Parts: sequence; structure tokens; C-alpha cells
Amino acid sequence: MPDVTVTIDGVTIQVPSGTNVVDAARMAGVAVPVFCYHPRMQPVGMCRMCLVQIGTPRLDPATRQPVLDDAGRPVIQMMPKLQTGCTTPVSEGMVVNTVADEVKFAQRGVLEFLLTSHPLDCPVCDKGGECPLQNLTMQWGPGMSRFDYNDKVHFEKPVPLGDLIYLDRERCILCSRCVRFQDELADDPVLGFDNRGRNWMIISKSDPPFDSKFSGNTTDICPVGALTSSDFRFRARVWELDSRPVVCTLCPVGCNLSLDMRYNQLMRVMPRENGAVNDIWICDKGRYGHRFVDHESRLTTPMLRRDGQLVPASWDEALALVAEKLAAVRQAHGGSAIAGLAAPRLSNEDLYAFQKLFREVLESNNLDQRIGAPGEPALDDLGALLGPGTGSDLAQLGAGTTVLVLGADPEEEAPLYVLRLRAMARRGARLLVANLRPTKLDRSASTRLRYRAGAELAFLRGLLRALSDEVGTDRLTVKSSGLDQLRRALFATSLDDTAAACGVSAADLKAAAATIASAEHLLIFYGAEARSAGPAVVETLGALLALAGKAGQSNSGLIALLPGGNSRGALDMGVRPDARPGYAPLAQPTIGARDLWNAVQGGRVRAVWVAGLDPAASLPAARAALDAAEFVVVQDLFLTETARLADVVLPAASVAERDGTYTNAERRVQRSRQARPPIGESRPDWQIVQGVAQRLVQAWVATGAPAVPAKGPKDGKGARGARGGVEVGAVAVAENGGWDYLTAADVAAEIAERVPGYAGVTYPALAATGKPGSWGRQVNEAIYYDGTNYENTEGVGIKLPSLIESGRASLNLAPLPVPATADDRPLLLIAQPLAYDGDPLLRGSRLEAHVPEPYVALSRADAERQNIRPGDIVRLASSAGELALPARVVDDLPQGVALVPANLAGVGLATVQTGPRTRVSLVKVVV
Amino acid sequence: MLGELLKGLGTTLRYMFRQPVTVQYPEVKRPVRERFRGRHELKRFADGKERCIGCSLCAAACPADAILVVPAENDPANPKSHGERYAATYEINMLRCIFCGYCEDACPTNAIVLEHQYELSFYDRRSSIYTKEMLLVPEDQGHGDPPPILQQLSRRPSPPAQIDL
Ligand code: SF4
Ligand code: SF4
Ligand code: SF4
Ligand code: SF4
Ligand code: FES
Repeated sequence: MPDVTVTIDGVTIQVPSGTNVVDAARMAGVAVPVFCYHPRMQPVGMCRMCLVQIGTPRLDPATRQPVLDDAGRPVIQMMPKLQTGCTTPVSEGMVVNTVADEVKFAQRGVLEFLLTSHPLDCPVCDKGGECPLQNLTMQWGPGMSRFDYNDKVHFEKPVPLGDLIYLDRERCILCSRCVRFQDELADDPVLGFDNRGRNWMIISKSDPPFDSKFSGNTTDICPVGALTSSDFRFRARVWELDSRPVVCTLCPVGCNLSLDMRYNQLMRVMPRENGAVNDIWICDKGRYGHRFVDHESRLTTPMLRRDGQLVPASWDEALALVAEKLAAVRQAHGGSAIAGLAAPRLSNEDLYAFQKLFREVLESNNLDQRIGAPGEPALDDLGALLGPGTGSDLAQLGAGTTVLVLGADPEEEAPLYVLRLRAMARRGARLLVANLRPTKLDRSASTRLRYRAGAELAFLRGLLRALSDEVGTDRLTVKSSGLDQLRRALFATSLDDTAAACGVSAADLKAAAATIASAEHLLIFYGAEARSAGPAVVETLGALLALAGKAGQSNSGLIALLPGGNSRGALDMGVRPDARPGYAPLAQPTIGARDLWNAVQGGRVRAVWVAGLDPAASLPAARAALDAAEFVVVQDLFLTETARLADVVLPAASVAERDGTYTNAERRVQRSRQARPPIGESRPDWQIVQGVAQRLVQAWVATGAPAVPAKGPKDGKGARGARGGVEVGAVAVAENGGWDYLTAADVAAEIAERVPGYAGVTYPALAATGKPGSWGRQVNEAIYYDGTNYENTEGVGIKLPSLIESGRASLNLAPLPVPATADDRPLLLIAQPLAYDGDPLLRGSRLEAHVPEPYVALSRADAERQNIRPGDIVRLASSAGELALPARVVDDLPQGVALVPANLAGVGLATVQTGPRTRVSLVKVVV
Repeated sequence: MLGELLKGLGTTLRYMFRQPVTVQYPEVKRPVRERFRGRHELKRFADGKERCIGCSLCAAACPADAILVVPAENDPANPKSHGERYAATYEINMLRCIFCGYCEDACPTNAIVLEHQYELSFYDRRSSIYTKEMLLVPEDQGHGDPPPILQQLSRRPSPPAQIDL
């Protein structure tokens, strides 16, 4: 956009055309007070707080040229009345006066009027201390009011808008920021105005009330204390809070949070601005779902099983026992008799240390980040291989970008991406949403593609075929193999046949392919439903990106929505049975979670270490196996079902109680800081692992028993970075086997040295990614942001390069064989991830009330065929087993699909599932 | 020399027949001035409700960081104070307090008042922390009607229409 020159209070600056006067003034360092205007939303001019005097050069009607005065300067014609700065775009030569007496008179008048119906609640208002109305009144307001105090309007004090947000109608200044946020940004148009005059008020229009996953953000942007968060109500005054920068681990977006602590207790959670990740927003899961850190059921001491009972013990006893038992198992049965599962929400440091203990000390590769449930899809490598390239920044994408969202429901899987995707679409990006069922994102899509259930692969092949028809294969520049096989597979059927098979017309496929082909940047998001269709689907997405010529490029790539806040980090760190850190494949895969429980029963695995996962809660097989195992260690926040079966339970510190780095879905590594000391005697997971490792190493040095593996990865295929680290390992081994980390920073430094792709990602480097000046508090920041979010002093994190960019990896284009299914049961059972599910981390939060009761969702047609009404109990039967659930009848669900929420407590999905997708039949249970 | 000695003894003799300026503390206590700043009291209204609304402004004003306020929400059926909020915990550390009276100035409801009690001594540091129970005056010693600002803080649903008419 061309720049225009404007003069604001005597300061002449160039601003992009289209900027409004408020923003332009801000660039010139001049504060214009606003209430209703918010830089992330369209201006509406409702509050009149931003009134300024505006003049433009007078034009000669004949020549359309500015009239010049005697001194040769353009004559400025002031507009007869004050203008609202927020709705007035700048124009060439514009002159703005924000300090004229007239302007001051107007500002005082607006504030005096706003305060006529505003209660004097400041001492008891949760917004007090960060309230724009307070601040603006102090700076711009009149000293006194001419209105009678007793004329103030009164309403009943707070009414719940939903159970998360309370509305105090007396305090509302009717700026409509909340309404517009819900309409424009969140696309949950659940708020609205009701009544008029002095009875004008905000209401919630939805049932359940304020039904939105982003509702908490309205309390941030509300310029008064009208909207307050129910879980921060009267907990503390804002100036008493100690804000600690933390990263959210509840989903793979990795939003930047501020944990506001008082006396080491969590008071509230606020967003920290990070343009590349969460902008200035967070979802309600992040905001309300961190109460687990203070929950009274947190484990505080190590426990050992004595006479069948778990009894508290000291760390020394517990660690010594773990080391002793693991050493004994390794002595007797070899390292491969030990297996470890670690949750994909733990930090990179924990996961690295965990796999290092297994690989280098115990000599076992039996690692996984899953629990071995049949519904878990294959591990996702492509999100790293073809992830968005270095320098990617979601905040910059708009026109010229095409985003394909396939088989994903971002609102449930990674809520904040909904806001990011919508913002991109608003800036002009093309949003293609392909799914087998409608999701909320459909409403924001520029193109909706609805393929038949189970026809993901056909759909993608069709899209790929249409794309290669359009651009050929010339754009394929990255190292790849198997292009010929791919071509053969693509051209084996005609586009029309493929279109018929997937249910999307050939014309639509061509149009979508054209949008993809013409894009400057191509981002592909895929979620659980896409991954459940098998690895071939994901492979084809990779081929699509590569054929479009976007592989390994900045701002283009695949983003996988995986479960777990650090799932990408867990894959990068090699917590998996088939690869070492940095995706270096193992010569032969070892026992992963899928085979683990059988292996335990068969005696091939004797000791199991579970960190942060709870397989026993949902898997009967795991429960039986853990019961049978010789030795079980569980390290977790809570006494989970699995922990109850353990021989040793170790209390872990939560995300708020330790330093760490986390890698988000687009592979950005971000640092999270310790917000308070660990609860009780709990310790960060990496310290626990190190405690055991040190004891093992010392024992083996002392007894001279099995050789301490004084080497780095011995697998010849170990990646380069890993080999470079060998000397480091060897030197340290002389003392205690490389287990002498004092802080998480030491572990991170070793990760930077030894994990390919993480080179340079050290704590100092992460801290240096903040760009002082480009954000944070500016002249009149209070107006825009006070109480909205926190400036980010921790940096924006480091975006890792995709593997393909580094040139070491190559892309296999050859189509994967698709296993034929012989099952002809009529329905496709799909487990649907929900944001508010049985996640133990939600405990203690107000979101627990939002977790649905178990159900199976059926299409109207399927339900009618069997005369099933909502609430009827139906029995799903697969070749594996049966499951009875109450039915929900969903209008827009396609026929042939049964949708069951994944990961709800008390639903034994594992009993019917035969894989990520299961064919089931359905009968109504007559009671 | 001798003359000076006698003069001094004379003064002594003169004072022997005067009223002493000292008092026999602690049997006798001298009244303090009206504006003396001694140990704090948390006041009540005449209706027995606590004046303190748990706003922490006193704690914010305190230069010695002597005050701890933990607010909570009133039970509407049995409110402790007017409005929605009250102080669940209110503590003043008398060893930290410098008796400056800033808290008194900051308080929007005149709840915290530095009164005339000055006998503050402790055997251990912990007992220097005065809790809300120790600071709060008995229920029958409230005074004054709650000002309109506080009455308004109460959940008083007054029909807004009365203003429009
Ligand atoms: S509730 Fe807050 S954000 Fe919404 S209209 Fe009222 S003042 Fe504005
Ligand atoms: S979107 Fe995800 S990362 Fe962000 S706050 Fe919500 S749960 Fe946390
Ligand atoms: S008198 Fe002064 S020092 Fe003492 S509690 Fe009040 S404000 Fe603090
Ligand atoms: S004593 Fe006064 S200033 Fe202190 S919390 Fe109570 S009401 Fe607020
Ligand atoms: S009218 Fe411009 S900020 Fe409200």
C-alpha cells in the first residue's frame, strides 16, 4: 500500500494508506483515547471518545489540485465538526489536531456522560487497576460531574453470561467490543444487544449461554469491568499479581501465557502477545484449564509399594529402588525388557532425558508417547519433514496464501488456530476446508469440500491429479523418490472416476487445485480425522505440497494437529520405538506402545516406566499388563489409575513449576518459565530421570558390571548432530555418564548440540528472540491493551527449519499401499477429539462442567432407519467388541458415520475399536 | 559554691510540693490526643455489617507492606459487608507498621482506623500479626449509615426505568 503523509499535532509522518487516524497518531507518538476501537477489529465509532479535529488540503474545484497559500503551502480546510479518529482513514496531506480546546471539551464531555451511568465500583471491581475507563478518566476526564449521584442507573449486580463470564450491566459502556469479538474474530455470534435507552444491555443469545471456546478474551478487551472472569472473581487485585511467562501445554498451538501468581498460587491466566503463535488471544481451555497446578490431588511425595500399599517414601529411597530394580531387570533380561512411555505434553528437556536414559543407560529402544490404544494413528513424521520453513509467521499471511484444512476440527483440536485461520482469511487468504462432516470452520471457508466418509484418499488423489494436470511436476524441486509410481497411481483412474469415488465433483477438485497452484504460500492443516484414515492420506498431502512447489519454503508447509501440547517435541526428541532424536530411523523398530501390553504379558518386557500417561484408565489390556509386570514406575502429577498399579510413584512438577521448552505444531520452540516452586517434594521430570540415571551409572561403575555405554548413539544411521556429540558424552561419562545437568538450560544445551534441527536452540538464544520496540507497551498502550494481554519479554521462540529444507532428508512420493478392509459393517466409527474431554489436566477447573456425557452421534438418516431417537441407548458392535452409548442425532452429519468423543472418562472406546477407524454395526437397545 | 548548692536544693524542695508531671504507668494511663495513631481497628456500620469491602487499597497504600488482604465474595444470603465483596483475611503486621495512617487515608469506607491503643508488645514475631478477628470491633459498636456508594454496591435491583421517566 502506498504511504500517505499526515501531520498530527505538528508531527509529520508517513503511514500506509488505509490506516485510521487513531493508529496513525499512535505511530506519530500521539495518544488518542479510545474505548470501542480495538486494533484487531473493524472500527464502529460507537463511543465518540476518539474525537479529533481533522483538516484536509483544500482542492481547487477546477484543477483538483491543492490550493496553495502565499508561502506556497497547501491551504488546510478544517472539517466543521470533530471527527471520530477510529473511523476516519488518513488521506494525503491530512492535518490532525488532538489537543485543540474543542477536542478536550469533547473528550471531557464523553467521559462525563459515560460516568453518569457508571457505578463507583472501582474498589470492588476486578478490572480496577488495569481499567481503561479509570485510566482515561484520570488522563482526559473532567474533575467532576454535574450529574446527581442518585440518578445513576442501577441493575442487579453481576448476571452470569455463561458459567465462565459474568456481566455487570451497570458497568458496561456499550462499546460492543465483546459483541464484535464474538462475531468478527471468534465466529461465535452468541452475544448481542437487547433493549434500548438506559436499559440497553449485553445479552447472550445462545443455549447453553455464551457458548464459545474463546469467551475469556472478551474479558480482556472489555474496556471496563463489565465482563469479568468467573474464576478470577475477587481473587486478588491486579497490582498484587506476579506474572510469569509460561507456554500452554494443553494443545499443540503452544499459546504464550502469563500465569498471574499471588503468594505462589495461581490467580488467573492471561495471554502474552506473540504474533507468530497466538497473537493476543488464548482459548478458554488455556485460560480456565490450568487449575490443575493447584489441585489438592497433586502428588507431593514419592510413594513405594509396601505390602501391597503405596506408602510415602523419600526421594533417595524411591530413586534407589527404581535404579536397583531396573538394573536387575537389565542384568537378567537385557535392556529390551524395559519399556518407557512418556506423555507428549512433557517438555523437550524431559523427553530428551527420558529417551537418553533408555537408549544410553538402559540400552532399550522400547519407547513411545502413545498408550497403545487401537484408535491411535501412526506417528506423524511429515509435519516435521515438510513443516513450514524457517521464517514462517502466521501473522503475515493473507492475500496470496492458500490454506487447506483437511480432516480437522481445529476448534476442538487446537482452538486458537481457528482465530489465526479466520484472521488470515480476513486478510485475503483462500481457506479450503475439506472434511467428511461440517465443522465450525466451514463458515469461514472460501471453499468447502465435503468428501464421502472414508474417501479421504480418493479425494486427495483427485486433488493431486487435478493439480498435476494443472502444473505438471516441474515445480517439484525437493529431493524426492517415487515420482513415477505416484504418477502411475494417479493416472490409473480418470479424474471423473476419482471424483465419483470421493463425492466431490471434478469441477470442484479442479477449482481447488487451481487455488492451490496459484498460491504464493500453501499451508496444509490436518487433524485427527485425516490421520485416522491412515498414513497414505498424510503422504498424499506431502505430495500435494511438493507438487505445488511449496515444500521446504517459508510460510508453506504441513501443520499436523496432534494430541498433546508438545507432541511435535516428543517426536523430535525421539520418544518413539522406531527412531532416535531428529527422526533418525532405527535399524529395526522395537516394542512400541501398540505391542507393549502383549509383550509384558508374554514376559518379553518386565519393567515399565510411565511418565505422565494413564494407559490403565482407558485400556483394559494395559491394566492387566501393568498388574502382571514385574516392576512399574509411574511419574505423574496425580495418582492416576496407572499410578495406582505402580510399584513406585514419583511426583512430577507441573508446567508451572519448572523451566522448559516446548515445540508447537508448526515447529516453533518456545521457552516456558518457572512460575512457582514445585508443590510438595515434586520435581521436574528431567530431574527425576537424571536421579535414576546417576544411580544406575554409579552402580555400574562401582560393580564394574555391565559396561556403561560410554558412547553416543551407536546406530550408524545416527544423524550428524548426534555423532558430533559423542565426545561430549564420552568425556562426561568418566564421571557420571553425562548426567550432570544442573538446570533445564543444561539439558537444552545438550539438545541443541545433539538433536538434529535443534542446533542453536539454547535458552540464551530463545531469550534473544524478543524484539524490543516492535511490541510491548507503547505511548498509549494502556488504551489498547491494558488488561488485554501482557507484553512478551520471553521472545517469540525459534522456528525450526523443516527437515526437507536442511537437505538431509528426502521425500518419498510413492503411494503407500492401502490395506484392504474386508469388514462390511455399515457404519464408520470415528473418534472425535474434543477440547473439553476427560483430560486429567482439566481437573479443578470450571471447564469440567463443559465435558459432555458420553454419546454417539448419528446422522438423521441412520437414526431414522433404526427408529433411534436422541437419548436412546444404542449398541455399537465391531469385530473387536461392543459398546453401549446414548445416541445423539445430528442433522448435518453424513450418513454412514458414527461419531464418538475420544478420550472421555468412562467410555471404553478401546473395546470396540479395531484401529483408528472401525467399521461397526448398530442396534438400538430396547429397555 | 555553697550558694549554688542551696539554690539547686531549693528547686528540688519547691518541686516536692508540686503536682508531678509523670503518671504511674501502667496503673495510670494518660489519655492520648484525638488524632493519635495507635493500633488499628476495623470498623462496622450501625447495622453491624463490616465496613471493609476487601479492596486492598490500604495494602496498596501501605509503605511498610504491613497489610495482607485476601478478598472473597459475600454469600448473598448472609453478607458480611455491603456489596459483593468482603475481606476473608485481613492481617496487619504491627512490627512492620510505622503508624503513618496511609491505610486510613486510602480506605474508601473508613473501615480501617488507627485508634488510641498503643500497648503493642510481643513475645514472638508471629504474635505481632493482628488478624481480622483481633482488629474487628464488636458487632454492637458499629456507627454511621452506609453511604450511598455502598448501598449501591449491594445487590439492590432498582428498576432503571424510574430514571428514564
Ligand atoms: S460488556 Fe464490555 S466489551 Fe461488551 S459492550 Fe459492555 S463495555 Fe463493551
Ligand atoms: S489454543 Fe491450545 S495452546 Fe492455545 S490456549 Fe488453547 S489449549 Fe492452550
Ligand atoms: S499505618 Fe501506615 S504502615 Fe501501618 S499499616 Fe497503615 S499504611 Fe501501613
Ligand atoms: S480496610 Fe478499607 S482499604 Fe482496606 S481492604 Fe478494607 S475497605 Fe479496602
Ligand atoms: S468512536 Fe472511535 S474509539 Fe469509539
